Amino acid sequence: MKSTVRSTHDYTGQLIDAALRAGAAHADALSVSDTGDAINVRNGTVESVEREDARGVGLRAFVETASGMAFATASTSDVSPQGLQKLAEQVLAMARISEADPDAVPPVGANHPTEQQLADWRLRHPESDAGWSLEEARDAALACEEVALSCSTAISNSEGAAASFGISHVVYASSDGFSAAYSKASASLSISVIAGHGDGMQRDYAWHRALHVSGLRTPDLIGREAAERAWRRLDPGSMESGAATVVFEPRIATSLLGHLIGAINGRAILQQRSFLTDCLHQPLFPAGVCIDDNPDHPDGLGNRLFDGEGTRTASHRLVSDGVLQHFLTDRYTARRLGMPETGSAVRGLTGDIGIGSANLIWQPGSLSQTDIIRQIRHGLLVTELIGFGVNSVTGDYSRGASGFLIENGMIVRPVQGITIAGNLKEMFAQISHVGSDLTWFGSSAVPSIAIEGMTIAGA
Amino acid sequence: MYTNHTIAHMHSQPSDSRDQLPVAEEALQRVLAAMLPADADDGDLYIEHSVSESISLEEGRVKHVSASTQQGIGARVIKGEASGHAYTDRLEPEALMQAARSARSIADSGGNRTSVRIHRAASEVALYSAENPAASVDFSARKQLLQRLDAMARNLDPRVRQVFGNISSSYSDIHMIRMDGAHIHDGRPLIRLNISVVVEENGRRETGSAGGGGRFSLARMIHSDEPERLVQEAVRLATLNLAARKAPAGSMPVVLGPGWPGILLHEAIGHGLEGDFNRKGSSVFADKMGKRVAAPGITVVDDGTIAERRGSLNVDDEGTASHRTVLIEDGILTGYLLDRQNARLMGMQPTGNGRRESYAHPVLPRMTNTFMLAGKDDPADILASLDRGIYAVNFGGGQVDITSGKFVFTTSEAYYVENGIIQYPVKGATLIGSGHEVLQKVSSIGNDLALDPGVGTCGKGGQSVPVGVGLPTIRIDDLTVGGTEA
Repeated sequence: MKSTVRSTHDYTGQLIDAALRAGAAHADALSVSDTGDAINVRNGTVESVEREDARGVGLRAFVETASGMAFATASTSDVSPQGLQKLAEQVLAMARISEADPDAVPPVGANHPTEQQLADWRLRHPESDAGWSLEEARDAALACEEVALSCSTAISNSEGAAASFGISHVVYASSDGFSAAYSKASASLSISVIAGHGDGMQRDYAWHRALHVSGLRTPDLIGREAAERAWRRLDPGSMESGAATVVFEPRIATSLLGHLIGAINGRAILQQRSFLTDCLHQPLFPAGVCIDDNPDHPDGLGNRLFDGEGTRTASHRLVSDGVLQHFLTDRYTARRLGMPETGSAVRGLTGDIGIGSANLIWQPGSLSQTDIIRQIRHGLLVTELIGFGVNSVTGDYSRGASGFLIENGMIVRPVQGITIAGNLKEMFAQISHVGSDLTWFGSSAVPSIAIEGMTIAGA
Repeated sequence: MYTNHTIAHMHSQPSDSRDQLPVAEEALQRVLAAMLPADADDGDLYIEHSVSESISLEEGRVKHVSASTQQGIGARVIKGEASGHAYTDRLEPEALMQAARSARSIADSGGNRTSVRIHRAASEVALYSAENPAASVDFSARKQLLQRLDAMARNLDPRVRQVFGNISSSYSDIHMIRMDGAHIHDGRPLIRLNISVVVEENGRRETGSAGGGGRFSLARMIHSDEPERLVQEAVRLATLNLAARKAPAGSMPVVLGPGWPGILLHEAIGHGLEGDFNRKGSSVFADKMGKRVAAPGITVVDDGTIAERRGSLNVDDEGTASHRTVLIEDGILTGYLLDRQNARLMGMQPTGNGRRESYAHPVLPRMTNTFMLAGKDDPADILASLDRGIYAVNFGGGQVDITSGKFVFTTSEAYYVENGIIQYPVKGATLIGSGHEVLQKVSSIGNDLALDPGVGTCGKGGQSVPVGVGLPTIRIDDLTVGGTEA
């Protein structure tokens, strides 16, 4: 199978040939070329302009040994014929040192998409740039900042607005003859502003990213969101230590999805580095909770036809009616776990193949965030989390938080300088409400999520 | 905690083949001339060639071996508060000229500077050896070490279920060419060895990890007793965690052990003192220069000049020689961390803290090795003073909001203490405080300053750079502990 569209930056064929000549039994390769522009403005003038022009190739080669296949990976930005030859020789030398694994899965015979599927995909996802010139991007950033600075007298300073756009071309090829190219453009707009003065300053931000500027939220909306988020945080207090119901607004609830995906990663399961090792087909969430991984969604930025090993992707309901249905796998972890391939291999130019989701969608419930808050006697609406206090082996969770105190169904005042703590497995089980406010953030869509019985530590 | 901050400075031994420019001088002179308008305040070319290697063990097998080679150039023009940057992986003249024109796009004026001649600027210090730290140790030796460490971990304790080991190394060869043609070279080695284990007992699984490294050769690491010590440490931490109970929730006194807990300084004050945030007035420290921000007796420095440390640099990424900058002296705020652009705009001198992850990233003011100087108190007495609180000796990561000053860091080894006596280990908990207040609550400073073992990586603006931290044992009278036992 050969994709009919070939990138002008495609070095994969040369690399695979060089690897086979150097003694590889099998090989696969990536060729990447990224170009992009970013412009930052602050206080109405251009602060910086950045232009990126990057390219690189990555090679994975397998050698046969008496005890099975061994492999290694390497990458380079030197794409001269000598650079490619050197890369192939380097990878082979390293593969011969690597230890063989009888379960290793070389890049041959994967469930590749068909020629027809590739053609259909290209029709529905035509190649396009992000739709901005540098001047248009600058004007969008300036407009966004102007709105943010002028929509409330509480806004005292700007950390600047940034607009960026670019396009990435990727070619994947394997020694079994499969080769396919795709390109992905994106544009993003972000702003960060400060409200208040001195020791009372509060900062917040807003951003949006889309495949094309036509899908981008307006500078006006993004600017207003950042300003409102910043001034609403002014004059925060602390909160009493003790149990509380915590509402994660959609932007923050994306982190809960991240923890779930990390824990159902097949590699983490194999290595016993997950708190969900024994939880497949178990009720993990309350009845009614459904979470999907969809590689072909009109609103998602994570669309893909095939994964980092050339495996055809498919949509999966990861959590159905509260029950965990899948671990995410690449070919190797699927073989080791005796489970189906989910087409979740994520590939960088070099290093281990990772596992990740495409577009995650936490199916919304029926209550608005306001209606959820109305049902809470004592709680916290979290609007920011900081720190890395999540233990992926035990699920123990403790993070710095700020947000708004909820008393008797009403938001009372902003709080900061507190922590929220629990254990993710218990937190998933103690979800009391799933909001109707489904919101997309890049490649995940999440509504507000309320969790009962978390522990707050405050002053 | 592993301390090694007394190694004597070594003398420079640059090899001729390595410090040659990878692009012809005449071509670079043409690029500089095309890039810099007459009224530019600053500008430079940053040419980098980096190689990195990584070898990992998991499930008893060394089966992940990888390498990467990255080369490219960053072109930069600075005028007032504005800067133009362009990065390219292509070193051909045409690509370089295109990058030069992109970098220049922030300047409207047409005039050109008189052309400059590239000339070598003298470099005096060499805090580390300018050669690939992995050169003397082939992959087979690294594989055998990991296999030995795996066996050792499993022999140390039958509860060990999984062992993960990684040896990574990199060497960056960097040429900086300033607006005046001065050519500054630095060759930066960096290595790191990491071990983590998963232990299991009665169905409960816990993990522990330890790491170390710096800007020295892999051969020295491999032939020292450090790898074995890291295995022992990882197993000790993991099995300790099997006995960990819930951490308390609420405000209480906290004693921090020496070394890596210095991450407190990195988050609580270091980021807040970076020049960009202060010039723009977005840091809570912006109006506090000359004012008291810490208890008397507290002195905090950022020092990039310690030989072979992970956070050290001969010169920063703008060619400024590394400094030892006093940030807080006897409790009073005395210094900011500055790159050239922020220093010029603030009317101050650059402090050697202009850093970039690579040629493909802009320069930002960043920390190097940030630590508190030793005090006079006996660490045992400091612990004994704790009526009811937490004794935290090791941490995972941390984060700060430099505008509100709120910072967090999360324990990975901590104990509940009553009446000065350790009661039991507690599960990982996030500690939260205010950067401009926390050091005013320090009531004891130990005499046991230690630097971290060489594992710190700092993230800012999407860029990662290696850093170091250090701390003596200190007592903080009041910090919020984010456990689950309210």
